[in-house]
Amino acid sequence: MAQIAIDGVTKRYGATEVLKRLDLTVAEGEFMVLLGPSGCGKTTLLRMIAGLETPSTGRILIGGTDVTLTPPARRDVGMVFQSYALYPHMTVRENIALGLKLRGVTQAEIASRIERVAALVQIAPYLERKPKALSGGQRQRVALARVIAREPSVSLMDEPLSNIDAQLRTVMRAELLRIHRKTGMTTIYVTHDQEEAMGLGDRITVMNFGHVEQIGTPDEIYARPANAFVARFIGAPRMNLIRLAHRPGANAIEAAGIRAPVPATLGTLPPDLFLGFRGEEARPGAAHDGEATIEGVVDVVEHLGAQIEVHLRLDDGEEAVFRRPRGETIWHEGERAALAIPAAHLHLFNAETGAALRA
Amino acid sequence: MTRHKLLSLGHGLFLAFIALIIIFPFYWMIASSLKTENQIFQLPPVWLFKPHFASYAAAIVNDHILRALLNSLIVTVGAVALGVAVGAPAAYGLARYTFRGSSQIQFWYVTNWMLIPVVVLIPFYLLAANLRLIDNPITLILIYQTFVVPLVVWLLVDQFRAVPIALEEAALLDGMSKFGIFLRITLPLTVPGITVAAILAGIFAWNDLLYAFILSPGTDARTAPTVMMSYLGGYIIPWGRVMASAVMITGPVVIGGIAIHKYIARGLTLGAVK
Repeated sequence: MAQIAIDGVTKRYGATEVLKRLDLTVAEGEFMVLLGPSGCGKTTLLRMIAGLETPSTGRILIGGTDVTLTPPARRDVGMVFQSYALYPHMTVRENIALGLKLRGVTQAEIASRIERVAALVQIAPYLERKPKALSGGQRQRVALARVIAREPSVSLMDEPLSNIDAQLRTVMRAELLRIHRKTGMTTIYVTHDQEEAMGLGDRITVMNFGHVEQIGTPDEIYARPANAFVARFIGAPRMNLIRLAHRPGANAIEAAGIRAPVPATLGTLPPDLFLGFRGEEARPGAAHDGEATIEGVVDVVEHLGAQIEVHLRLDDGEEAVFRRPRGETIWHEGERAALAIPAAHLHLFNAETGAALRA
Repeated sequence: MTRHKLLSLGHGLFLAFIALIIIFPFYWMIASSLKTENQIFQLPPVWLFKPHFASYAAAIVNDHILRALLNSLIVTVGAVALGVAVGAPAAYGLARYTFRGSSQIQFWYVTNWMLIPVVVLIPFYLLAANLRLIDNPITLILIYQTFVVPLVVWLLVDQFRAVPIALEEAALLDGMSKFGIFLRITLPLTVPGITVAAILAGIFAWNDLLYAFILSPGTDARTAPTVMMSYLGGYIIPWGRVMASAVMITGPVVIGGIAIHKYIARGLTLGAVK
């Protein structure tokens, strides 16, 4: 188990900069998720920690030791690949044993470790099979077992659940957490699925275009997004961001169909703003003191089963989307409706820089 | 009869015709090798006859065809073994690493395959003669590399590229050396491709006449195709022995071809992994 520090790491391929002076610290035993859209550099960062890529500048430290130029084999890291990368010509047992043998673990110790790990990830009945005789979920478990058996100080996972079906994915997610709690391995997990990230991570690093947008616990990132990108990326359905202009000096936001109080502590607001709120924080009806009001015409009502999704068209053409319980009959397409949002759940972002404006 | 049935009948007849054209020479070769010299030239041809093995006995006793087949085997196996031992690592290097000139080198291998043999034959003959290596199987094994290595490299580059890089990276993290990965991960996964390349290269080496005829003409050193050539020298051609020798020479080629035909049919793009 070890702490990982990424210190000012940049990665360039020719003229393209895929990582831009990135800093990140992962605590010992922590489950850190790297989250971002494809091409944001999260997999490149993971591969650099593994030693499969070399940073153009900057340092990588594992357990306090600079490993920037250390070959992968001597870094004491294990990796679960997106494609699992099981050796097709070896049985499950041989797959797990290979890394142990190469590290000089004794035969008896290898046998006992395989037994222990096979029980942990529930693959004991398949040990003598070849990977092609296993299902996707089973291969996934073998890939995990191969890493756990080596007892590396750091385990790296590159979208390990992306190739299995949705139902199994939720099962494997809980499994991954259970195994992490049991082994306590420092884990870095790459995904583009925000729901997976929220469910797994002790902390999440949200990345975009090769830099970090925000680092925080799932709750922090959900409740206090640092900028408009994170606000849009986290949560399903996504946060409503309504673009509006702000009259300088006014102590409230007033736009077509919108009234929102502005805390005095925010200081001078920029003229171009995003007003953000999550559908689940809004309630129908008129606003009380200190709440924001949003009014518009109900555009579409979609039935989703347990919930309905309402699309509200504001007077200046912007749209707000929110979900309500099934059977709420107050929403009629084409009629005017109003929403009230408590001030504590309002988010303001500078539309130009994307940065959140907080008191 | 429906139009569809007529069409498939037409297909069938056409295929049967093509098959006949291909199979008939083999039939004629085997049949003639089992006939007497008189029966071979009878018109109309004798379709039913008692098999007669005198031609085989003569080819073995008079023409030392078994000795020649053994020479061919030694030269072919030697050339293929050396070619794979040299060509497989070369192909792996081209498949996995990009370096200055790597694509030119790959192209150079392919163009070598188009080399006209006579171009290298004369200088090579002079070299071999000066080194007193005429009639030595090593000479043929070496000169066959001019076509075995390009063929092996050409076929194996794609084979190695088909092995997912993640497998090699996983092995790297498991603590394996780069050469260990090549030997214990990549090679075992490309055995079908290597087998195809070896058999194809072997067929070319086995069939070679030009190099063998010039560089290894001695009675004890000559290969099987050279023996075939020797039949054409006299006033009469001993067709029975020609056909018997031909059966013994083409037999291994046909067996090798059948062994790999399904891979060849797939355009040599066999998925070593998956």
